[in-house]
Amino acid sequence: MSPSASTLPGDWIGIALLLLGCAFYGAGTAGLLRFPDVYSRLHALTKADNQGLLLVCAGLAVLARSWRVAALLGVIWLLGLMAAAVSAHLIARHARHSGSRRTSSEERP
Amino acid sequence: MTIGVLVDLMLALALVGLSLRVVTGRALFRDIVLFILFGLVIALSWSRLGAPDLALAEAAIGAGLTGALMLMAYRRLVAGGAEDVAPRRRPPLLAVPVAVLTGALVALIGLAALGVERVPDAAGTIVLEELGASGLGNAVTAVLLVFRGLDTMLEMAVLLVALLGAWAVLGEVHPGRLHQVDRRTPLVGALLTTVAPVTLLIAVHLLLAGTDAPGGAFQAGAVLTGCGVLLVLTGTVRPRAAAGLATKLLVIAGLAAFVMIGASAVALGRAPMSLPGTWAVYLIETAMMLSIAVTMTLLFARARALEPERA
Repeated sequence: MSPSASTLPGDWIGIALLLLGCAFYGAGTAGLLRFPDVYSRLHALTKADNQGLLLVCAGLAVLARSWRVAALLGVIWLLGLMAAAVSAHLIARHARHSGSRRTSSEERP
Repeated sequence: MTIGVLVDLMLALALVGLSLRVVTGRALFRDIVLFILFGLVIALSWSRLGAPDLALAEAAIGAGLTGALMLMAYRRLVAGGAEDVAPRRRPPLLAVPVAVLTGALVALIGLAALGVERVPDAAGTIVLEELGASGLGNAVTAVLLVFRGLDTMLEMAVLLVALLGAWAVLGEVHPGRLHQVDRRTPLVGALLTTVAPVTLLIAVHLLLAGTDAPGGAFQAGAVLTGCGVLLVLTGTVRPRAAAGLATKLLVIAGLAAFVMIGASAVALGRAPMSLPGTWAVYLIETAMMLSIAVTMTLLFARARALEPERA
């Protein structure tokens, strides 16, 4: 995205928020791939990705420069938050009921 | 726009890579997840190509509903004792020439498409010129309902035939619980009470927006099916052994609305399938949305009808 005549200073804030959001998504994905058990992977996903989604939505809202779009993005974030919370809860419940253990710190490589 | 080209290139590579993994993979569950991912990347590709209507439909139907259907089928397969990982088998000898010829055909079509000159009065150009006369702002909805209404009507017939076929092979339905998740779990209850009304709202919005903006009966029906799938999975509704009159009417509503309005045009001396006004578009789209949602939910639930579960 090269700076053009129409790029306002506010746009850079939006772009910075987008990049920061991507960094959170990257961290969440790294956690999903690298963490040892179901629970810590879920922890990484739900925490980091929801924060990433918030930052991406905020960045897009700043870039859109419209309160209507910002409100819609807020609703999208809330729905995403809810879907993530419930699905993570159900996956963790299922893992616990089927006997998946938490990896203790001694067992970690 | 170099960054745009980069994104397109990434999408194209992801599509090729994902489709290869889906076809060659042997672990059933992972292949299903990859197929859902494939649908999402296709949806992104459609939106990059400037086709938001298709992107919406692909994300909702191709990735969401097809994925849910496949996961449901996977559950039944595994419950029936199927192995998740298929044994490695040598591909048949015929596979190589078929693959080479198919690749050559695709390359040939691609090369031919590059060399095609723009036809001045192609159907798409005529549609865009005549869009004002249709009274609709969204060219896709205008094509689906006004210019090529017959095709859309037959699509509804295909959906109906699919459901009838599924009913024919369904066998005995045991009226009983189907749910996988207990809706009395606090979080699931909260999800239901919030998401079910929101999906209704989004479906109606998509339906109404479809006349002027991306959206329409197919997208709205798919979102409504999402609500239906949620109700089935949480055991809020349960299968019934036989379809009642209401279910049958809902399932044929889309086709019936098309046929009645299209045929009444002939009776009134107008061209067959011509619509009398924008109200007819809304009427047909509403009927289509209901038919699509009910048909897809019944297919997902593997049921002839659904009734509310009394807690």
